[in-house]
Amino acid sequence: MVKSIISMIAVAIILTCGVIYETTFIRGEFREFTVATDTLYDKVDAKTANENDVYVLQKKWVETKDKLNAFISHNEIKEFDLWIAETVKLVAAEMWDDALSKIEVIKELEEQVPKSFEFSFANVF
Amino acid sequence: MLVIFVRTLIIFLVLVVVMRLMGKRQIGEMQPFEFIITLIIADLACIPMADLSIPLIYGIAAVLALFLLHQLFTVIEQSGNLPKKILSGTPSVVINKNGVDMNELKKNNLGLDDLIESMRSQGYFSLDDLDYAIFESNGKLSAFENPERRDAPSSMPILIVDNGKLQVKNIKVLQDEEENVKRFIIDSGATPKTTEVLTVDGNGRAYFKKKNEKFVIARYPLKEGVKW
Repeated sequence: MVKSIISMIAVAIILTCGVIYETTFIRGEFREFTVATDTLYDKVDAKTANENDVYVLQKKWVETKDKLNAFISHNEIKEFDLWIAETVKLVAAEMWDDALSKIEVIKELEEQVPKSFEFSFANVF
Repeated sequence: MLVIFVRTLIIFLVLVVVMRLMGKRQIGEMQPFEFIITLIIADLACIPMADLSIPLIYGIAAVLALFLLHQLFTVIEQSGNLPKKILSGTPSVVINKNGVDMNELKKNNLGLDDLIESMRSQGYFSLDDLDYAIFESNGKLSAFENPERRDAPSSMPILIVDNGKLQVKNIKVLQDEEENVKRFIIDSGATPKTTEVLTVDGNGRAYFKKKNEKFVIARYPLKEGVKW
Protein backbone atom coordinates (compact mmCIF):
# COMPACT_ATOMS: atom_id res chain seq x y z
CA MET A 1 0.00 0.00 0.00
CA VAL A 2 2.73 2.45 1.04
CA LYS A 3 4.80 1.44 -1.98
CA SER A 4 1.76 1.98 -4.23
CA ILE A 5 1.10 5.43 -2.80
CA ILE A 6 4.77 6.44 -3.11
CA SER A 7 4.99 5.27 -6.71
CA MET A 8 1.69 7.02 -7.47
CA ILE A 9 2.94 10.29 -6.04
CA ALA A 10 6.24 9.93 -7.90
CA VAL A 11 4.54 9.36 -11.24
CA ALA A 12 2.04 12.17 -10.56
CA ILE A 13 4.97 14.53 -9.91
CA ILE A 14 6.75 13.38 -13.09
CA LEU A 15 3.60 13.91 -15.15
CA THR A 16 2.85 17.30 -13.59
CA CYS A 17 6.42 18.51 -14.18
CA GLY A 18 6.22 17.13 -17.72
CA VAL A 19 2.97 19.00 -18.39
CA ILE A 20 4.36 22.30 -17.05
CA TYR A 21 7.66 21.93 -18.90
CA GLU A 22 6.00 20.93 -22.16
CA THR A 23 3.51 23.81 -22.09
CA THR A 24 6.05 26.51 -21.22
CA PHE A 25 8.72 25.11 -23.53
CA ILE A 26 6.47 24.89 -26.59
CA ARG A 27 4.97 28.33 -25.97
CA GLY A 28 8.45 29.83 -25.50
CA GLU A 29 9.87 28.26 -28.65
CA PHE A 30 6.96 29.40 -30.76
CA ARG A 31 7.01 32.90 -29.26
CA GLU A 32 10.61 33.33 -30.45
CA PHE A 33 9.84 31.89 -33.85
CA THR A 34 6.78 34.12 -34.22
CA VAL A 35 8.96 37.20 -33.76
CA ALA A 36 11.19 36.04 -36.63
CA THR A 37 8.15 35.32 -38.84
CA ASP A 38 6.63 38.73 -38.10
CA THR A 39 9.88 40.44 -39.10
CA LEU A 40 9.89 38.60 -42.43
CA TYR A 41 6.18 39.33 -42.95
CA ASP A 42 6.79 43.08 -42.51
CA LYS A 43 9.69 42.99 -44.98
CA VAL A 44 7.71 41.05 -47.59
CA ASP A 45 4.77 43.38 -47.09
CA ALA A 46 7.08 46.34 -47.73
CA LYS A 47 8.55 44.45 -50.71
CA THR A 48 12.05 44.85 -49.28
CA ALA A 49 12.70 41.22 -48.42
CA ASN A 50 15.26 39.05 -50.18
CA GLU A 51 16.13 35.34 -50.23
CA ASN A 52 18.54 35.70 -47.32
CA ASP A 53 15.78 37.02 -45.03
CA VAL A 54 13.83 33.84 -45.63
CA TYR A 55 16.96 31.71 -45.11
CA VAL A 56 17.32 33.40 -41.71
CA LEU A 57 13.78 32.30 -40.86
CA GLN A 58 14.50 28.82 -42.21
CA LYS A 59 17.65 28.57 -40.10
CA LYS A 60 15.70 29.71 -37.06
CA TRP A 61 13.06 27.08 -37.78
CA VAL A 62 15.67 24.29 -38.12
CA GLU A 63 17.05 25.22 -34.68
CA THR A 64 13.53 25.34 -33.20
CA LYS A 65 12.32 22.08 -34.74
CA ASP A 66 15.30 20.14 -33.42
CA LYS A 67 14.06 20.95 -29.93
CA LEU A 68 10.37 20.52 -30.74
CA ASN A 69 10.74 17.07 -32.32
CA ALA A 70 10.35 15.45 -28.93
CA PHE A 71 6.95 17.03 -28.33
CA ILE A 72 5.27 17.81 -31.62
CA SER A 73 4.01 15.37 -34.20
CA HIS A 74 6.59 15.13 -36.96
CA ASN A 75 3.87 15.66 -39.57
CA GLU A 76 3.20 19.12 -38.15
CA ILE A 77 6.90 19.91 -38.28
CA LYS A 78 6.94 18.86 -41.92
CA GLU A 79 4.15 21.38 -42.63
CA PHE A 80 6.41 24.22 -41.46
CA ASP A 81 9.31 22.85 -43.55
CA LEU A 82 7.20 22.86 -46.70
CA TRP A 83 5.64 26.31 -46.28
CA ILE A 84 8.99 27.94 -45.48
CA ALA A 85 10.66 26.24 -48.47
CA GLU A 86 7.93 27.61 -50.75
CA THR A 87 8.33 31.09 -49.30
CA VAL A 88 12.05 31.04 -50.20
CA LYS A 89 11.25 30.52 -53.89
CA LEU A 90 8.46 33.11 -53.98
CA VAL A 91 10.51 35.80 -52.30
CA ALA A 92 13.42 35.08 -54.68
CA ALA A 93 11.00 35.55 -57.59
CA GLU A 94 9.61 38.70 -55.93
CA MET A 95 6.08 37.28 -56.01
CA TRP A 96 5.12 39.29 -52.93
CA ASP A 97 1.41 38.48 -52.70
CA ASP A 98 2.00 34.75 -53.00
CA ALA A 99 4.84 34.95 -50.51
CA LEU A 100 2.62 36.85 -48.07
CA SER A 101 -0.08 34.20 -48.27
CA LYS A 102 2.50 31.49 -47.51
CA ILE A 103 3.76 33.42 -44.50
CA GLU A 104 0.15 33.86 -43.36
CA VAL A 105 -0.13 30.07 -43.29
CA ILE A 106 3.07 29.81 -41.26
CA LYS A 107 1.71 32.39 -38.81
CA GLU A 108 -1.55 30.47 -38.53
CA LEU A 109 0.38 27.26 -37.82
CA GLU A 110 2.42 29.06 -35.17
CA GLU A 111 -0.83 29.98 -33.48
CA GLN A 112 -2.59 26.65 -33.84
CA VAL A 113 0.17 24.15 -33.00
CA PRO A 114 0.80 25.36 -29.41
CA LYS A 115 -2.97 25.55 -28.92
CA SER A 116 -3.26 21.83 -29.66
CA PHE A 117 -1.36 21.18 -26.42
CA GLU A 118 -3.68 23.27 -24.29
CA PHE A 119 -6.19 21.59 -22.05
CA SER A 120 -9.51 22.25 -23.74
CA PHE A 121 -12.69 20.40 -24.63
CA ALA A 122 -11.80 20.40 -28.33
CA ASN A 123 -8.37 18.87 -27.69
CA VAL A 124 -9.55 16.23 -25.25
CA PHE A 125 -12.35 15.01 -27.49
CA MET B 1 0.87 15.73 -22.05
CA LEU B 2 -2.10 16.88 -19.99
CA VAL B 3 -4.39 16.25 -22.95
CA ILE B 4 -2.92 12.74 -23.36
CA PHE B 5 -3.39 12.09 -19.65
CA VAL B 6 -7.03 13.20 -19.70
CA ARG B 7 -7.72 11.23 -22.87
CA THR B 8 -6.14 8.11 -21.33
CA LEU B 9 -8.20 8.66 -18.17
CA ILE B 10 -11.44 8.93 -20.15
CA ILE B 11 -10.74 5.83 -22.26
CA PHE B 12 -9.71 3.92 -19.14
CA LEU B 13 -12.85 4.86 -17.19
CA VAL B 14 -15.13 4.07 -20.13
CA LEU B 15 -13.45 0.66 -20.51
CA VAL B 16 -13.74 -0.05 -16.76
CA VAL B 17 -17.48 0.66 -16.86
CA VAL B 18 -17.94 -1.40 -20.02
CA MET B 19 -15.93 -4.33 -18.68
CA ARG B 20 -17.88 -4.29 -15.43
CA LEU B 21 -21.13 -4.26 -17.35
CA MET B 22 -19.94 -7.14 -19.51
CA GLY B 23 -19.70 -9.32 -16.44
CA LYS B 24 -17.24 -12.09 -15.85
CA ARG B 25 -17.28 -13.58 -19.32
CA GLN B 26 -14.61 -11.31 -20.79
CA ILE B 27 -11.96 -11.47 -18.13
CA GLY B 28 -9.66 -14.28 -17.23
CA GLU B 29 -7.78 -14.37 -13.97
CA MET B 30 -7.45 -10.59 -13.81
CA GLN B 31 -9.43 -7.85 -12.16
CA PRO B 32 -11.39 -5.83 -14.74
CA PHE B 33 -9.13 -2.78 -14.52
CA GLU B 34 -5.99 -4.92 -14.80
CA PHE B 35 -7.43 -6.56 -17.87
CA ILE B 36 -8.09 -3.14 -19.43
CA ILE B 37 -4.55 -2.03 -18.76
CA THR B 38 -3.20 -5.17 -20.39
CA LEU B 39 -5.51 -4.53 -23.30
CA ILE B 40 -4.39 -0.99 -24.04
CA ILE B 41 -0.82 -0.87 -22.84
CA ALA B 42 0.45 -2.97 -25.73
CA ASP B 43 -0.97 -0.58 -28.32
CA LEU B 44 0.21 2.47 -26.42
CA ALA B 45 3.72 1.15 -26.43
CA CYS B 46 3.67 -0.06 -30.01
CA ILE B 47 2.19 2.92 -31.88
CA PRO B 48 4.88 5.53 -31.08
CA MET B 49 7.50 2.81 -31.44
CA ALA B 50 6.48 1.91 -34.98
CA ASP B 51 5.17 5.26 -36.24
CA LEU B 52 8.10 7.63 -36.60
CA SER B 53 5.85 10.68 -36.93
CA ILE B 54 4.65 10.32 -33.34
CA PRO B 55 7.03 11.56 -30.64
CA LEU B 56 7.99 8.81 -28.21
CA ILE B 57 6.91 11.00 -25.32
CA TYR B 58 3.25 10.55 -26.33
CA GLY B 59 3.52 6.83 -25.61
CA ILE B 60 5.57 7.32 -22.46
CA ALA B 61 3.08 9.84 -21.05
CA ALA B 62 0.13 7.55 -21.75
CA VAL B 63 1.86 4.51 -20.24
CA LEU B 64 2.78 6.53 -17.14
CA ALA B 65 -0.82 7.73 -16.92
CA LEU B 66 -2.00 4.12 -17.02
CA PHE B 67 0.48 3.15 -14.34
CA LEU B 68 -0.81 5.99 -12.17
CA LEU B 69 -4.40 4.90 -12.73
CA HIS B 70 -3.52 1.29 -11.96
CA GLN B 71 -1.89 2.23 -8.68
CA LEU B 72 -4.77 4.56 -7.84
CA PHE B 73 -7.36 1.88 -8.52
CA THR B 74 -5.38 -0.67 -6.52
CA VAL B 75 -5.27 1.67 -3.53
CA ILE B 76 -8.99 2.53 -3.86
CA GLU B 77 -9.86 -1.15 -4.23
CA GLN B 78 -7.95 -2.05 -1.09
CA SER B 79 -9.50 0.78 0.91
CA GLY B 80 -12.77 -1.03 1.64
CA ASN B 81 -15.44 -3.47 0.57
CA LEU B 82 -17.66 -1.03 -1.30
CA PRO B 83 -14.93 0.32 -3.60
CA LYS B 84 -13.77 -3.26 -4.20
CA LYS B 85 -17.32 -4.27 -5.07
CA ILE B 86 -17.73 -1.36 -7.47
CA LEU B 87 -14.37 -1.75 -9.19
CA SER B 88 -13.92 -5.50 -9.31
CA GLY B 89 -17.34 -6.94 -8.55
CA THR B 90 -18.04 -9.74 -6.12
CA PRO B 91 -17.80 -13.51 -6.42
CA SER B 92 -21.02 -15.13 -7.62
CA VAL B 93 -22.25 -18.44 -6.29
CA VAL B 94 -23.67 -19.99 -9.44
CA ILE B 95 -24.18 -23.49 -8.07
CA ASN B 96 -25.44 -24.00 -4.56
CA LYS B 97 -27.20 -26.80 -2.68
CA ASN B 98 -30.34 -26.11 -4.75
CA GLY B 99 -28.49 -26.50 -8.01
CA VAL B 100 -27.70 -23.97 -10.71
CA ASP B 101 -28.63 -20.39 -9.86
CA MET B 102 -29.74 -18.95 -13.19
CA ASN B 103 -30.26 -15.47 -11.74
CA GLU B 104 -26.62 -15.29 -10.67
CA LEU B 105 -25.53 -16.45 -14.10
CA LYS B 106 -27.69 -13.80 -15.77
CA LYS B 107 -26.36 -11.08 -13.48
CA ASN B 108 -22.88 -11.84 -14.79
CA ASN B 109 -23.97 -12.13 -18.41
CA LEU B 110 -23.13 -15.80 -18.35
CA GLY B 111 -25.11 -18.64 -19.83
CA LEU B 112 -25.49 -22.21 -18.70
CA ASP B 113 -23.17 -23.27 -21.52
CA ASP B 114 -20.47 -20.93 -20.13
CA LEU B 115 -20.82 -22.54 -16.72
CA ILE B 116 -20.69 -26.06 -18.16
CA GLU B 117 -17.63 -25.10 -20.22
CA SER B 118 -15.84 -23.69 -17.16
CA MET B 119 -16.72 -26.81 -15.19
CA ARG B 120 -15.44 -29.06 -17.93
CA SER B 121 -12.13 -27.22 -17.98
CA GLN B 122 -11.81 -28.13 -14.30
CA GLY B 123 -12.67 -31.78 -14.89
CA TYR B 124 -16.34 -31.74 -13.86
CA PHE B 125 -18.85 -32.83 -16.44
CA SER B 126 -22.11 -33.09 -14.57
CA LEU B 127 -23.82 -30.16 -12.86
CA ASP B 128 -24.30 -32.22 -9.69
CA ASP B 129 -20.58 -33.04 -9.51
CA LEU B 130 -20.31 -29.85 -7.51
CA ASP B 131 -21.94 -28.76 -4.28
CA TYR B 132 -20.87 -25.19 -4.89
CA ALA B 133 -19.43 -23.34 -7.85
CA ILE B 134 -18.28 -19.76 -7.54
CA PHE B 135 -17.31 -17.40 -10.31
CA GLU B 136 -14.64 -15.26 -8.69
CA SER B 137 -14.44 -11.56 -9.48
CA ASN B 138 -11.54 -12.30 -11.84
CA GLY B 139 -13.76 -14.62 -13.91
CA LYS B 140 -12.20 -17.85 -12.66
CA LEU B 141 -14.43 -20.71 -11.50
CA SER B 142 -13.84 -22.14 -8.04
CA ALA B 143 -15.39 -25.52 -7.47
CA PHE B 144 -16.44 -27.31 -4.29
CA GLU B 145 -16.78 -30.95 -5.19
CA ASN B 146 -19.76 -33.08 -4.21
CA PRO B 147 -18.05 -35.99 -2.36
CA GLU B 148 -20.86 -38.40 -3.25
CA ARG B 149 -20.15 -37.96 -6.93
CA ARG B 150 -16.40 -38.51 -6.72
CA ASP B 151 -16.41 -42.12 -7.84
CA ALA B 152 -19.75 -42.13 -9.61
CA PRO B 153 -19.82 -43.88 -12.98
CA SER B 154 -20.04 -41.11 -15.43
CA SER B 155 -21.04 -40.40 -18.93
CA MET B 156 -21.01 -37.06 -20.66
CA PRO B 157 -24.25 -35.15 -19.82
CA ILE B 158 -25.96 -33.32 -22.64
CA LEU B 159 -27.84 -30.10 -22.16
CA ILE B 160 -31.46 -30.63 -23.19
CA VAL B 161 -33.17 -27.57 -21.68
CA ASP B 162 -31.33 -24.32 -21.14
CA ASN B 163 -33.40 -21.80 -19.21
CA GLY B 164 -36.75 -22.82 -20.68
CA LYS B 165 -35.42 -23.45 -24.18
CA LEU B 166 -35.30 -26.93 -25.67
CA GLN B 167 -31.96 -27.66 -27.33
CA VAL B 168 -33.26 -29.36 -30.45
CA LYS B 169 -29.79 -30.24 -31.74
CA ASN B 170 -28.93 -32.01 -28.49
CA ILE B 171 -32.23 -33.92 -28.45
CA LYS B 172 -31.02 -35.59 -31.65
CA VAL B 173 -28.08 -37.00 -29.68
CA LEU B 174 -30.63 -38.69 -27.40
CA GLN B 175 -32.10 -40.20 -30.58
CA ASP B 176 -35.47 -39.24 -29.19
CA GLU B 177 -38.40 -37.10 -30.20
CA GLU B 178 -39.01 -33.59 -28.88
CA GLU B 179 -42.46 -34.75 -27.74
CA ASN B 180 -40.94 -37.46 -25.51
CA VAL B 181 -38.68 -34.90 -23.88
CA LYS B 182 -41.65 -32.61 -23.26
CA ARG B 183 -43.60 -35.54 -21.81
CA PHE B 184 -40.69 -36.33 -19.47
CA ILE B 185 -40.66 -32.71 -18.31
CA ILE B 186 -44.43 -32.65 -17.75
CA ASP B 187 -44.26 -35.96 -15.86
CA SER B 188 -41.62 -34.36 -13.67
CA GLY B 189 -44.11 -31.65 -12.72
CA ALA B 190 -42.98 -28.81 -14.96
CA THR B 191 -43.30 -27.38 -18.43
CA PRO B 192 -40.38 -26.68 -20.79
CA LYS B 193 -40.75 -22.97 -19.97
CA THR B 194 -40.59 -23.49 -16.24
CA THR B 195 -37.59 -25.81 -16.57
CA GLU B 196 -34.33 -24.06 -15.91
CA VAL B 197 -31.99 -26.95 -16.57
CA LEU B 198 -32.28 -30.46 -17.90
CA THR B 199 -29.24 -32.52 -18.72
CA VAL B 200 -29.18 -36.19 -19.56
CA ASP B 201 -26.14 -38.44 -19.61
CA GLY B 202 -25.51 -41.64 -21.54
CA ASN B 203 -26.79 -43.76 -18.66
CA GLY B 204 -30.11 -41.93 -18.62
CA ARG B 205 -29.25 -39.98 -15.51
CA ALA B 206 -31.06 -36.65 -15.69
CA TYR B 207 -30.30 -33.46 -13.80
CA PHE B 208 -33.59 -31.64 -13.65
CA LYS B 209 -34.21 -28.23 -12.14
CA LYS B 210 -37.50 -26.42 -12.14
CA LYS B 211 -37.52 -22.65 -11.68
CA ASN B 212 -37.06 -21.60 -8.04
CA GLU B 213 -36.87 -25.19 -6.84
CA LYS B 214 -34.08 -27.52 -5.77
CA PHE B 215 -32.70 -29.74 -8.52
CA VAL B 216 -33.60 -33.43 -8.65
CA ILE B 217 -31.85 -36.39 -10.16
CA ALA B 218 -34.22 -38.44 -12.23
CA ARG B 219 -34.01 -41.28 -14.71
CA TYR B 220 -34.64 -40.42 -18.30
CA PRO B 221 -36.06 -43.31 -20.33
CA LEU B 222 -33.44 -43.61 -23.03
CA LYS B 223 -34.36 -45.80 -25.96
CA GLU B 224 -32.88 -49.22 -25.96
CA GLY B 225 -29.33 -49.36 -27.24
CA VAL B 226 -28.84 -45.60 -26.94
CA LYS B 227 -25.67 -44.89 -25.04
CA TRP B 228 -22.71 -42.55 -25.34
